[in-house]
Amino acid sequence: MDVFGSFALVLAFVCAVYAIVGGIAAIVTRHPLLVKSARHAGMATCCLIFTATFSLEYLFFTDNFSAAYVVSHSNRDLATFYKIAALWSGQEGSLLFWSFLLSIYVFSVLIAYRNKNGELMPYVGVVMAGVQTFFLVLNNFVASPFKMLAIANANGSLTYFTREDGQGLTPLLQYPEMVIHPPNLYSGYTGFTIPFAFALGALLARYPGEKWIHLTRKWTMIAWTFQTLGIMLGAHWAYAVLGWGGYWGWDPVENASLLPWLTGTAFLHSVMMQEKRGMMKVWNVWLVFCTFGLCILGTMLTRSGVVSSVHAFAQSSIGSYFVGFLAITFLVCFAAFLKNRDYLKSENQLDSVVSRESSFLFNNLILLVSCVAVLSGTLFPVFSEWFTGDRISVGAPFFNKVNIPIGLILLFLTGVGPLLAWRKTSTDSLKRNFGWPLLVSLVMGAVLFAFGVREFYSLICFILCIFVTSTIGMEFLRGSKVLHARTGSSFITCAIDLTMRNTRRYGGYIVHMGMVFVFIGLAGVAFNRDIQKEMQIGQSMQIGPYTLVLQSYDTKAEKNYTAQRLIVEVLRDNKPMMMLYPEKRKFATAEQPGTMVAIYSTLKEDLYVVYAGDSGDTQLPVVHAYLNPLVKWIWLGGVVVVFGTLVALLPNRRAVLVLAGSTEAATHPAQAGLPSTVTLREGHD
Amino acid sequence: MTNRRFSIRLAALAVFAIAQLFPVVLNPADAQQLTDKAKKVGGKFMCMCGCSQVLTECNHVGCTTSAGMLKDLNQRLDRGESEDSITQAFVQEFGTQVYAEPPKSGFSLVAWLMPSFYLLLGTVLVIFVISKWRKRVPVEALADGAASGISPELLARARAQAAKETED
Repeated sequence: MDVFGSFALVLAFVCAVYAIVGGIAAIVTRHPLLVKSARHAGMATCCLIFTATFSLEYLFFTDNFSAAYVVSHSNRDLATFYKIAALWSGQEGSLLFWSFLLSIYVFSVLIAYRNKNGELMPYVGVVMAGVQTFFLVLNNFVASPFKMLAIANANGSLTYFTREDGQGLTPLLQYPEMVIHPPNLYSGYTGFTIPFAFALGALLARYPGEKWIHLTRKWTMIAWTFQTLGIMLGAHWAYAVLGWGGYWGWDPVENASLLPWLTGTAFLHSVMMQEKRGMMKVWNVWLVFCTFGLCILGTMLTRSGVVSSVHAFAQSSIGSYFVGFLAITFLVCFAAFLKNRDYLKSENQLDSVVSRESSFLFNNLILLVSCVAVLSGTLFPVFSEWFTGDRISVGAPFFNKVNIPIGLILLFLTGVGPLLAWRKTSTDSLKRNFGWPLLVSLVMGAVLFAFGVREFYSLICFILCIFVTSTIGMEFLRGSKVLHARTGSSFITCAIDLTMRNTRRYGGYIVHMGMVFVFIGLAGVAFNRDIQKEMQIGQSMQIGPYTLVLQSYDTKAEKNYTAQRLIVEVLRDNKPMMMLYPEKRKFATAEQPGTMVAIYSTLKEDLYVVYAGDSGDTQLPVVHAYLNPLVKWIWLGGVVVVFGTLVALLPNRRAVLVLAGSTEAATHPAQAGLPSTVTLREGHD
Repeated sequence: MTNRRFSIRLAALAVFAIAQLFPVVLNPADAQQLTDKAKKVGGKFMCMCGCSQVLTECNHVGCTTSAGMLKDLNQRLDRGESEDSITQAFVQEFGTQVYAEPPKSGFSLVAWLMPSFYLLLGTVLVIFVISKWRKRVPVEALADGAASGISPELLARARAQAAKETED
């Protein structure tokens, strides 16, 4: 099966190269058979990558310890569940997994548009095949996952051998979320290839109008959703497994996942400017190029060892390939832009500074500043080493100081932007839309201050969260009231109906609401507290309203590890509440132990208990307990963001106008006997 | 459901959500342990075990590096050493990688100035773009106006009416 997989990868490489060459020939000659042939080569590439990936998984499932990659990342006792995850736990396998996920996207695009957009698709096919070819070069010639174990003999020949068992999977990865976090994150990274291919293809082909934007919208949103999910799951994994009480440490690899998310978010907003007003065309094209470039950069940072990170793969020379690919990509994009920049001329003017257009510009500015600040902070150790010879590290305190104010400005714009009208917002409209939310948020801010919230950024964050919630609530209320007056249905029904009539607009509001929840959770960090104590059986420790009593400890042997488990009783106001079981796991195949944090989570706070090890002097177990307020709001926010994005992906339900005093419904003004000037306002806001 | 009942439910939901915040903030003094000098000084250094975490936050199982560093830090504080001298000693022992954030001097100042520079540059760019867009005559308006022979006054009135009608 190893030879089979290896051969499939080589064939995939050949097909991908043909898809490029054949695609270019098809563009030049416009011969329909060549177009078809290049498309089929693209599809064959994908099928062969699928085959190679399933071959590697087969090696894991059959415990084939003659394959070096399987030996390094699996063992016989490893649960089946984790044998799937072992595929992407190392450099070689994760690169194959990259190719695999990219191929799912490419295959879907080639199938979905096989009979559509004939002028554009050959260009898109070539770009997608170009990206695939780069990764297939890595899969075949730089980091092949199908290397076999062999000993070199004196005469130069090789003797292949098989090991009895493997070295097992890194303990930190043996956690259910680790099975779903990387696929989500990688799906985000790879997914941005599609809007990139369409943007570059449209630019090269001078494809008319905003068609490429409409074509790629759903692909961008799918990639963005996966990226969001990946980041959220990664944060939750860090929180539940690493045992340091936090979820985001501004580690270079974490930052690498955030960068394309920030530019992707900027793109999802600015794209509306192009759709509605024909503006920001150059900006949108470059935003997509940058988002794709940052996905590649993020993949490089994780794999090259350029910056040190606990999440990174082993240091390797693979970085130079990525740098080369990034350079070629930039040159191609820049050349295409120079040649066809007249195609990207904006069509409209700005009527007023106080308008939706301006708010989008500032939203993009803030997102981009945040992105560049995170990027420069992440790479600063490398720059400082180049310029001064000293590698100066940049840790969480720097990123927090820089990004908290930026985040708050962004939160403010989240509330303001959607309520500004396109073209121009009148003073009356400003008063109507912002009066109540402003008043409510300021009053609530004063109440919070009176009750003791004195931490500046947290207070501002809570005030802004209330402001944004009020503005969103008012939007739903206002729309529902109109529908309620027309139909007489309940407000809940009207709110759902309203959302389904303009899924993009109201789905967007739901996403914004999710972000508010995330910010509420982040604001809670200022009130974290923790305590650490060596404990004898029967001893207790107090944190906030909770009393933790160590009742006992035991050892349980599982197939792949042995766990030392503390049995901690939690009391609140001296009344027993529950038992918590923080664990320390010792894996048979690894020296590094793993932790399983015990968490009691509510919307108000998380009681987070870690078995931090045994004291060196007394051999007593050390318990580290944290009380982290509002953390659950972050995970809840993530769910709401994803839900909102899914709503925004749904097609709009057709509007039905019900006339007062009439039981008849009409789907078109003309049908309802209305003057032709009356139109139903359905659209993408 | 009536308008009023819906508003009451919304308000109740908002009160419930905000109520979740109160228990967090009722006891802010209890929530903070920032008076601990070791914690404050230790927060300025990275743990050198390679975990990329701040010294006082690194508690992963079996990390002997952070334990040793914190012990050293406590001893120095007990001896009455100043923050500056502790920083110098740590930098001498571990190199500049021990900084949790770049010092605000020398080349490292660049790291602090860069975000403000980006924000300033971006703001200037946005203002430039806005002023450029405001001066621009829209392509479609020119074309439509010229082709249909509509007077500029009528066009302006129609645009103002359209703006009013499309306002949220």
